[in-house]
Amino acid sequence: MAESLAVRRANILERQPEAKRGSAIERVQSVLQGFAERDPEGEVLTAVRRFPARAAVHADWPDWVTPRLRDAYVAKGIARPYSHQALAAEAVHGGRNVVIVTPTASGKTLCYNLPVLDAILKNDDTRALYLFPTKALAQDQLAELYDLNQRLERGDGAAQSFGVFTYDGDTPSDARRAIRERGHVVLTNPDMLHTGILPHHTKWTRLFENLQYIVMDELHTYRGVFGSHLANVLRRLKRIAKFYGSNPRFVCCSATIANPGELAERLIEDEVDVLSANGAPAGEKTFVFYNPPAVNRALGIRRSYINESSRVAQEFLKNDLQTMVFANSRLHTEILLTYLQQANPQFPGTPETIRGYRGGYLPRERREIERGLRDGRIRGVVSTSALELGIDVGSLDATVMAGYPGTIAATWQRAGRAGRRSGSSCAVMVASSAPLDQFIVRHPDYFFGNTPEHAFIQPDNLEILVNHLKCAAFELPIAPEDRFGDVDVQDLCARLAEAGYLHRVAGHYHWTQEAYPADAVSLRAVTSDNFIIIDVTGQPDVIGEVDFPSALTTVHEKAIYLHGGEQYHVEHLDFKERKAYVKKVDVDYYTDAVRHTQVRVLEIAAQEPSSVAHPAIPALKAHGDVLVRSQVVGFKKIKFFTNENIGDGRLELPENEMHTTSYWLTLERELVAALPFTISERQSGMFGLLHAMASVATLLLMCDGRDLGTAIGERPPKPGAEGEEFRVVTLEEARNAVNKEFFEPNLYLYDAYPGGIGFSEPLFRAHELLLAKTRELIAGCGCDAGCPSCVGPAGDLATRAKEAALLILERLGA
Amino acid sequence: MASADKFSRLAALRPVNGMAPREVRTSAPAPALDEHESELARLIGASVARTKFGTHLSVSNWHSTPELPDISAAALDLLCNHGDAVRCRKWRAAAENPEKWLFLDTETTGLAGGTGTYAFLVGIGWWDAGGLQVEQLVMRDFSDEYSLLTELAARIAERPVLVTFNGKSFDWPLLESRYLMTRTIRVPQLAAHLDLLHPARAVWKLRLGSVRLVELERHVLDAPRLGWTREDDVPSSQIPQFYFDYLRGGPATPLAGVVRHNRMDLRGLAALFGKLNSLLGTPHHPDGEGLDLFGLSRYLQRRGQAGRAESACAAARDRGLPEPVDAQALYQLARMAKRRKEFARAAELFTELLEDPQFCAAACEELAIFQQSRNKDPRKALEFARRGLREARRRNPGAMLRTGRTAEFSRMARLEKRIARLEARLAPVDAPLLNRVREAAR
Repeated sequence: MAESLAVRRANILERQPEAKRGSAIERVQSVLQGFAERDPEGEVLTAVRRFPARAAVHADWPDWVTPRLRDAYVAKGIARPYSHQALAAEAVHGGRNVVIVTPTASGKTLCYNLPVLDAILKNDDTRALYLFPTKALAQDQLAELYDLNQRLERGDGAAQSFGVFTYDGDTPSDARRAIRERGHVVLTNPDMLHTGILPHHTKWTRLFENLQYIVMDELHTYRGVFGSHLANVLRRLKRIAKFYGSNPRFVCCSATIANPGELAERLIEDEVDVLSANGAPAGEKTFVFYNPPAVNRALGIRRSYINESSRVAQEFLKNDLQTMVFANSRLHTEILLTYLQQANPQFPGTPETIRGYRGGYLPRERREIERGLRDGRIRGVVSTSALELGIDVGSLDATVMAGYPGTIAATWQRAGRAGRRSGSSCAVMVASSAPLDQFIVRHPDYFFGNTPEHAFIQPDNLEILVNHLKCAAFELPIAPEDRFGDVDVQDLCARLAEAGYLHRVAGHYHWTQEAYPADAVSLRAVTSDNFIIIDVTGQPDVIGEVDFPSALTTVHEKAIYLHGGEQYHVEHLDFKERKAYVKKVDVDYYTDAVRHTQVRVLEIAAQEPSSVAHPAIPALKAHGDVLVRSQVVGFKKIKFFTNENIGDGRLELPENEMHTTSYWLTLERELVAALPFTISERQSGMFGLLHAMASVATLLLMCDGRDLGTAIGERPPKPGAEGEEFRVVTLEEARNAVNKEFFEPNLYLYDAYPGGIGFSEPLFRAHELLLAKTRELIAGCGCDAGCPSCVGPAGDLATRAKEAALLILERLGA
Repeated sequence: MASADKFSRLAALRPVNGMAPREVRTSAPAPALDEHESELARLIGASVARTKFGTHLSVSNWHSTPELPDISAAALDLLCNHGDAVRCRKWRAAAENPEKWLFLDTETTGLAGGTGTYAFLVGIGWWDAGGLQVEQLVMRDFSDEYSLLTELAARIAERPVLVTFNGKSFDWPLLESRYLMTRTIRVPQLAAHLDLLHPARAVWKLRLGSVRLVELERHVLDAPRLGWTREDDVPSSQIPQFYFDYLRGGPATPLAGVVRHNRMDLRGLAALFGKLNSLLGTPHHPDGEGLDLFGLSRYLQRRGQAGRAESACAAARDRGLPEPVDAQALYQLARMAKRRKEFARAAELFTELLEDPQFCAAACEELAIFQQSRNKDPRKALEFARRGLREARRRNPGAMLRTGRTAEFSRMARLEKRIARLEARLAPVDAPLLNRVREAAR
């Protein structure tokens, strides 16, 4: 798995002959060499990959491009487009829906700006809507378009150019009218489209009557819940466009994922051309995986990845290499910033050369930091994902990622912040001890090979769909012929009418509520059923909210709730009013809810032998509809750092029932009985296997650990039947569940959202890959008998859990 | 079983708060609609009006009060003073003839705005035979909307000067949106739009706190004297629900109450015009409360009528104002005097303000400027500047910690600079050194 020392040395030492002594590239090499020398075993630097520089492939400007526009680009320093830009622009110009898949800094904005602006210059009525997942990205794109606009204005005496505006929550209300009238290009985000534009479409008649292009950048971020919502927002958008007589084309841009075309087609529900060529040049880049040294190998405890990240970053900074450090939370950003600033003290009175950057900083401060990075005054920056996407900060020499960013796509985007286009650069990913991090860092080929990451959405999730159907009815009455996804719209409308939301007159359903439905629908959650968290340490203050399912496990009474790096003790949970009252505390433990989950299969959508090659292996894979009933029965207090269990408590919380979709693996009796272990070892092996499978699944699905739930239950005799009776259990029973023998267990991985969010069927399809990668994860883990990185913490499981899990996988033919 | 479960568990399908799901299933036999509708028509005394897009209900009533007042040119000048000069002139010319006016007030299915909010009742009124003719257009259900809008468009074409209360930001944009949604009926063009909310708020907000039409009727228009009562009036917040209930076959009586309510509002609106007409139209203010006159003064000032603003402000003080407002009025008067370049008079008034804790710092700053640049007395100026800074700090200790960016904070910064400049001038030898020491210390 880890590369040999020789290979790594060779990779480091190979250098360009013309590199000057003391140049950035030499300094990068010397830093890396330093790391390698301190790690003769190759346990720390698990991969050093060198990506050679790539030359540009140019093409001619398409002949339809308005000369003035071409001149403006030439004046910007773009003499000719790259081959992929010309190709993409051609496809968009030709009226196709496209998804453009190219790495960071390959000039994808030209792919859509060229045909869109050309259309505007040829016909002043043309309108385009650009969607970005964040406000900051829209701002950045605005600057680029302003620049082009100015060049166009200078081009010839006639001041014909185009109007470009951002429209988001920060847009002053007096500017909004001008934007609606004069904005040829309106830059916004899905949330604003959902609550601010669509429900007020009569104010945007000019836009909707002439809407020709919809550009969606960072398409891969529209997955899971967010993507499922967006697909419905787009259904609403298309309905309104049709009402005004327009039929816009879609231009999507995505980072590299395995299924960009599929995702785009699911989102826009139309055919899409996938363009994945890349003619952009790239500088030489070295990518390094850094696994902090083990402190206690048996327990799988490693040195703090935060400290190690800080150390790596300091090495770069010491060598005067401009460095960007990414942390996965605001808290870690602040910690790393403190470490780095302390290590690089400033002369009093001179401006700080190492800065933090994250949401919550003021826009002006952010712009100042971006400028400082571009002109080199700022040598180091510590950021959250805020700087991951598109913001132009020039090219840096090195990036350090404190922890795996969660997806391969995001990792490449972060790495892409160093060495955009030319020059040599280095990216270091420092792994935490989380299972995903450990898997990636030990399986570099998984990361550097063809990406296995798929983005999935489920636009027909009923809860989401019905909420958007309400919004749609508010926007335009629902006509008998209206379509909205694959569901029976008329039936749903009749139900909404019954519940008092709609009223049917002459075949059309009209909105009959005072409320504005879009306000109650957040694009980031399935239901708007949230608990508000109120800090009552001093003056009561609302500090956040959690959705219903998480509330039961995170803000039950006596829980330690972590927020913004502070610990809070939950004093009281008002279940009826959906409020949790918390007080600030400083304790050395956190709490972990003990949850008892039972799954009942309602309907099997598909069921097949686990192994295609060996159908005789006594195991099945399946997916379908399930009912999940979970109950939080108690909680454990876990000490920080040592993870000792220092006490527990009983809880009486209402059960939570959820209808969702699930993928599951059935181990038939024959397989279970043949396992040479004690009952409790077998059981532990199954729980451990499921733990590891869930980790790998989040990797394949580009989702968060919270998006998937796990449970093991007895295989029901037939769907819908009571496999096991749902019943209330006590804390003791829940804790001992691991020792109860299953006859023929089902291992469930279910979508943790009511109605399902589209993970189950893909997992069913990827079943064999999932098992193979799970085996790699467990087998590749250096721990003795299980650790949080593979089958789960050793203390919770029987001693041979890891061994048992591996044997099950082997018997499954993985 | 599975699919039945699926729907019953959807949070999005849960019935709306506080509303028991009614037994009006689409498959169930529909209530006898004609009977239901005729009950409403009977209750409100409506007839069925027909247009090329169908039918709707229409109610006509004539009221002897309020009466058509003598329209004051000065008041119209003020009410038409919106936006650019060209539009002001156009509006002013159009508003000249009160026969072209149309009072308008809508009842809607919500206050949130957006394309899913309907105006199910549009009340309009115009001066006729010395009184007010009111006509109300009612949608029995959503299919009446096109007809109602067509009728309204015809009425607006006859009388294209709209007079509303908060219509500029609510009723009219909502109606515009309704017209656009038809894709067939053009948005009627207005010749002018006089909205009474802003002047009413400016004049009466200080005294009444709330300037809802009902409050104005009671306290300003002297409704009891006109014999108007709002007994059994429907609460505004319930109006949408009354309409939804009626749509689903519920009783017509509450909706009849809404029609009455709308009629009262229209009469109130016309009467409010009369009141504003006299208040904005007269140069002298023989009657009226001090607070109202002070509000009027601020409104006049915003509309660029400095002279009238000043006399209203002075009249307000003569009439008597509560302490804090009086100081505010005095401050305004002083600034107006300064703006007229009557510096000595302004200084006199600012000196009066030194006694007021709220305005002392501001007055000190003004007096420091006066002493420095008009009276050429830097010592006195320094004295005032120092006193001003002391006062400002005392009143706003938070600003010392740079926690807020209030007006007070910038005043302190200005005063600090002024003090430094004055000190430098008064002690020419030491000051630069002192400044350098300060600089170094910083």
